Amino acid sequence: MRCLQWTPAFVFLTLTMGVSSVVDAVPITFNTALPVAEGEFIFRQQLRWLRSSDDPSEADRDMRVVATISVLGYGVNSKLAVFGVLPYGDKTLEMNRSGTEIERDNQGLADATVFARYTFWQDNIRGRTFRLAGIGGFTAPTGDDDKSDGFGRLPAPLQNGTGAWDWFGGAVVTYQTLGYQLDGQFSYRHNREANNFDAGDEARLDLSWQYRLWPRKLSGGVPGFFYGVLEANYLHQDKNQRGGQSDENSGGDTVWLSPGLQYVTRRWVLEAVVQKPIYQNLNGNALKNDQIVTTSFRMNF
Amino acid sequence: MIPIRALFLLVLMVASSAWAQGPAYDIGVDGLSCPFCAYGIEKQLHKLDGVEKVETDIEKAVVVVRVKDGSTLDRNQAMKAVKKAGFSLRSFEQSEEK
Repeated sequence: MRCLQWTPAFVFLTLTMGVSSVVDAVPITFNTALPVAEGEFIFRQQLRWLRSSDDPSEADRDMRVVATISVLGYGVNSKLAVFGVLPYGDKTLEMNRSGTEIERDNQGLADATVFARYTFWQDNIRGRTFRLAGIGGFTAPTGDDDKSDGFGRLPAPLQNGTGAWDWFGGAVVTYQTLGYQLDGQFSYRHNREANNFDAGDEARLDLSWQYRLWPRKLSGGVPGFFYGVLEANYLHQDKNQRGGQSDENSGGDTVWLSPGLQYVTRRWVLEAVVQKPIYQNLNGNALKNDQIVTTSFRMNF
Repeated sequence: MIPIRALFLLVLMVASSAWAQGPAYDIGVDGLSCPFCAYGIEKQLHKLDGVEKVETDIEKAVVVVRVKDGSTLDRNQAMKAVKKAGFSLRSFEQSEEK
């Protein structure tokens, strides 16, 4: 039987579960350097659908994931904010096994992530701000990583957790005006070995542009802003290691283009984005991604 | 029919409550450029003693703070609150109107 590999799509999902945008206005799929006020909490609830069915192998794999991701952030001071992320996933895999269609699934809490963001530099002028921040954190193996079904032990991507302590770090830059916002983020994730499996390390680059569609003209107070969002996400993943051997059907490069919409008020944000892969150069028979749809609600208190 | 004396007292109460309002301050904030960010500043300013009302004009990047009668707000307090929210104080002055 062909094992389901850790494809970039699932890597991306895991990554964004941990360091997705949790604060302030935009972007939707990653972080922003904007502040969380001292003593302020921010809560975010995401609902994410992912499907990968473009299988170059005869196994004709079709993987679907529905995940809810809960994020709580706290402003320690005006520069330092800490975040906790707890995902819950419902995963289903359909595939052809020796001429027979089989289905395997799994549900449960996934690995929790804790990270901090520190604003190193900021330049504020009237109606606009520029900020540069560093992010760093780790993912703890809180999800089950040894579940089995009637066909045996579930493959790594179907497990709720990886069993490993992983760490990541990066930098995020934000330029925000009343009319638009630009963000960029680079991050690197080091995945460690567990259960004789070591998912390849990952590097990603994210860019986001948000443009205020409504109201076109401001006239006092703090009206809700309706933004059009366009993001681009690049992910490179090294090959996985299984039993010390490199897995030739894993890793590669993917670029997503992600249009979205966002409504931002003083207390809450509603947003949705569709991530479509526009370039996938994956190794061997790694399963390709169809799309990721994310909806999200944020509030501060 | 409302007795004239009661009506007079009512008018006097309304008028005196308006006169009892404390001073207002216009606080210019640099870096403020989205609605979600305004909440952080308003929350920090509400924590200050005597603050009764906080209103933001995001286009002008100004937060108007009204304090209770007998209270005052100084520039240093305002600057600390704005900084805690992650922004910079541009200007601080007492409003003309009461």
